Amino acid sequence: MDFSLSEEQQLLKDSLEKFVASEYSPTQREKLLHAPAAFSADHWQTFAELGWLSIPFSEEQGGIGGGIVESAIVMEAFGRGLVLEPFVDTVLLCGQVLARSGNASMAEQYLEPLIAGELQGALAWQERQSRSSLEHCETEAKRQDGGWLLNGEKVLVSNAAANLLIVSAKQGDQVGLFAVPADNPGVTLQTLKLMDGRDAMNVTLTDCQLTAEHCLQEAGLQLLQQVVDEATVALCAEAVGAMDYLYQATVEYSKTRKQFGQPIGKFQALQHRMVDMFMLTEQCRSLLVCALCSVSDNSETVTEDISALKAMVGRYGRQVAEEAVQLHGGMGVTHEMNIGHYLKRLMMIDVTFGDADFHRRRYCNARYAA
Amino acid sequence: MHAKFTPEERVFQQEVREFMTNEFTDELAARIRHPDSFREAMIEWQKKLDAKGWAANGWPVEHGGCGWSATKRSIYSNEMALAGAPDVVPMGIKMVGPVLYSFGNEEQKARFLPATKASDIWWCQGYSEPGAGSDLAALQTRAVRDGDDYIINGTKIWTTYAQYADWMFCLVRTNTEGKPQAGISFLLIDMTSPGITVSPIISIDDEHHLNEVSFSDVRVPVANRIGEENEGWTYAKALLTYERTALSGVGYCKRTLQRIRDYAANERQGGGRLIDDPDFQARLADVEMEVTSLEYLELRVLNAVDKGGAPGMESSLLKLKGSDCQQAVQTLYWNLAAAYGGVLPGDDHQNVSGHAYGDQARREYMFGRATTIYGGSNEVQRNIIAKFGLGL
Ligand SMILES: Cc1cc2nc3c(=O)[nH]c(=O)nc-3n(C[C@H](O)[C@H](O)[C@H](O)COP(=O)(O)OP(=O)(O)OC[C@H]3O[C@@H](n4cnc5c(N)ncnc54)[C@H](O)[C@@H]3O)c2cc1C
Repeated sequence: MDFSLSEEQQLLKDSLEKFVASEYSPTQREKLLHAPAAFSADHWQTFAELGWLSIPFSEEQGGIGGGIVESAIVMEAFGRGLVLEPFVDTVLLCGQVLARSGNASMAEQYLEPLIAGELQGALAWQERQSRSSLEHCETEAKRQDGGWLLNGEKVLVSNAAANLLIVSAKQGDQVGLFAVPADNPGVTLQTLKLMDGRDAMNVTLTDCQLTAEHCLQEAGLQLLQQVVDEATVALCAEAVGAMDYLYQATVEYSKTRKQFGQPIGKFQALQHRMVDMFMLTEQCRSLLVCALCSVSDNSETVTEDISALKAMVGRYGRQVAEEAVQLHGGMGVTHEMNIGHYLKRLMMIDVTFGDADFHRRRYCNARYAA
Repeated sequence: MHAKFTPEERVFQQEVREFMTNEFTDELAARIRHPDSFREAMIEWQKKLDAKGWAANGWPVEHGGCGWSATKRSIYSNEMALAGAPDVVPMGIKMVGPVLYSFGNEEQKARFLPATKASDIWWCQGYSEPGAGSDLAALQTRAVRDGDDYIINGTKIWTTYAQYADWMFCLVRTNTEGKPQAGISFLLIDMTSPGITVSPIISIDDEHHLNEVSFSDVRVPVANRIGEENEGWTYAKALLTYERTALSGVGYCKRTLQRIRDYAANERQGGGRLIDDPDFQARLADVEMEVTSLEYLELRVLNAVDKGGAPGMESSLLKLKGSDCQQAVQTLYWNLAAAYGGVLPGDDHQNVSGHAYGDQARREYMFGRATTIYGGSNEVQRNIIAKFGLGL
């Protein structure tokens, strides 16, 4: 057992933290919110140059062969600074489906530009009736003239800058996975602004024609679940980074804000609340370590370990952020103060890939079902 | 012991229900939701209530109040909330009104009470300052006497709806010696006076409700002072008590729970309806139990008042528990909306999520974070209950 980071992992962490410290002050971030697609194309190029976009891909595929731990290191650092660039969508979702699907021609065509920072990706799985369930998919894929024809609607697809969509679609009684270029004439996109500053989109597929090779897997539910599970761990790492920031920022604020002639941090009622914020953060971090080991070790309990993490992060993430708002008083409910932006991001993380209730149920099903 | 209304109370309940259904139209609701028409639409609504004689129902009858029992007041506010209709903007009728009829002189009463009741004056509350939030008595805005005027310098913050206000009731420092509470005066300030600057503060729900209001050599006639110089703290404290008990929000909680049940019956999750999901039911039940207990807490307080008693320390719990309950309901509502709650409205405040209530769930949750902060934060409420309620 060893929970420490390797030398390379530590270097990666340092360079990420340096990037966040120099590029992600609240004012710098506020500017990016108004950029096209609500993130910085320049930052994305920097990520490519620093090799961050290649982290979770094998060397044969042009990557550096990193694993879940490296992805979590990236996302925790991004969580601290509320980084907007769509690393999870492009690299961990779209990129990992491509890399693992076994479809060599699609991987060859798309992974190189993705790793070079020239291609943005998204995973289009959610539908109006599905809520958090990956398998309840009503978008349909039919075989036609040796290729495929897709029809259906996907909602709240994260990363409106995506050039390539990975679409889940029912074909027969299987869920297939398809690589759909966003400029396919059968694709209509409606951009939505989200409260965490990101741009998402609703995607309508109307007789969207694809060649046979654009089908990544005809029965792809297992791959989809696996990729989503690992991305979920990375999202939780992001949440832990955000929680870490929040409790520390609250402690700092309580040392400087004075009421009744003393720093509010001197009030024992508030001290205990901040200790709890710290404790909740460390509890989440502990389940993060558990899930990281579980994925790395290919553990039998990986499903419940990931769901335990997501359930706890969903609940405690919001709780820590709500406490941070409360202890900042009026300042906490302003747009200007970044505390509220962390709350919004943690709320969105909670409802991405299933909220705390969903994952508690999934944990029960994995653990107690006969 | 029973919880039945008398026949007269039932008739009253029916009357209120019908009024709300007929008068609070969808069209009016839509205009109140839109920031550009909010002020005008709220005034229109308050004028409808005033025409019915209900706008200032809590005031003494001689000033146009209704003389209702506490039970009737609770029926009224419940029915209003269940109809989704907003209560009057509190600053005028619920906050400065009682101060005016309790401590104002005859001239001030004649000048301000009828106009306040008729919503011809929009009031804002100038208490908090950058350095004086929970510790309100630390306020620094100076008022220096100059003939028949005071000259005001300083800054107020978090002033709700100052951008719409005609007048502000304001706490200022008229004496810097002795205990901080002892040097405060209560002034009424015309917002069109030269030297006042109102700057917007955008809040966490991306809306403009809050403001910073700065005063630079603003002249205010001494005749606009309520009561005695340096006695303002007493009047302000009376007002704060009034503000706190007005805040339990039972009706709002019940209406939102009703919505949540309706929506959950239509929301699909995987194969089935969300309302049939035992996990969801358990969460809904947890919140409903909290709200029912809040409702009975409020009824107990009101019943004690109707029987001629003074509201005991339970009434201090109302704001505390009421704000907790509102937030619990809002959190459940947000969870029901799931990720759709994260979609911001498009241009012109239109809901573009393709989802009926996500937008509302987000706004209510977000701004709801402030319910445990304003009107005396929940931490300060606990300090008060510990000290005066439990004698610690
Ligand atoms: C939406 C909104 C609307 C408002 N509208 C108005 C308005 O119209 N007019 C107006 O005058 N004001 C208004 N306020 C201001 C409001 O009254 C203050 O925000 C409130 O009194 C808290 O003060 P503060 O923001 O300075 O927080 P602080 O006093 O700095 O408090 C920060 C934190 O410390 C805690 N704390 C402070 N003292 C203690 C203590 N002794 N023990 C334990 N904990 C403590 C607080 O509870 C809070 O969690 C509004 C505020 C909000 C959020």
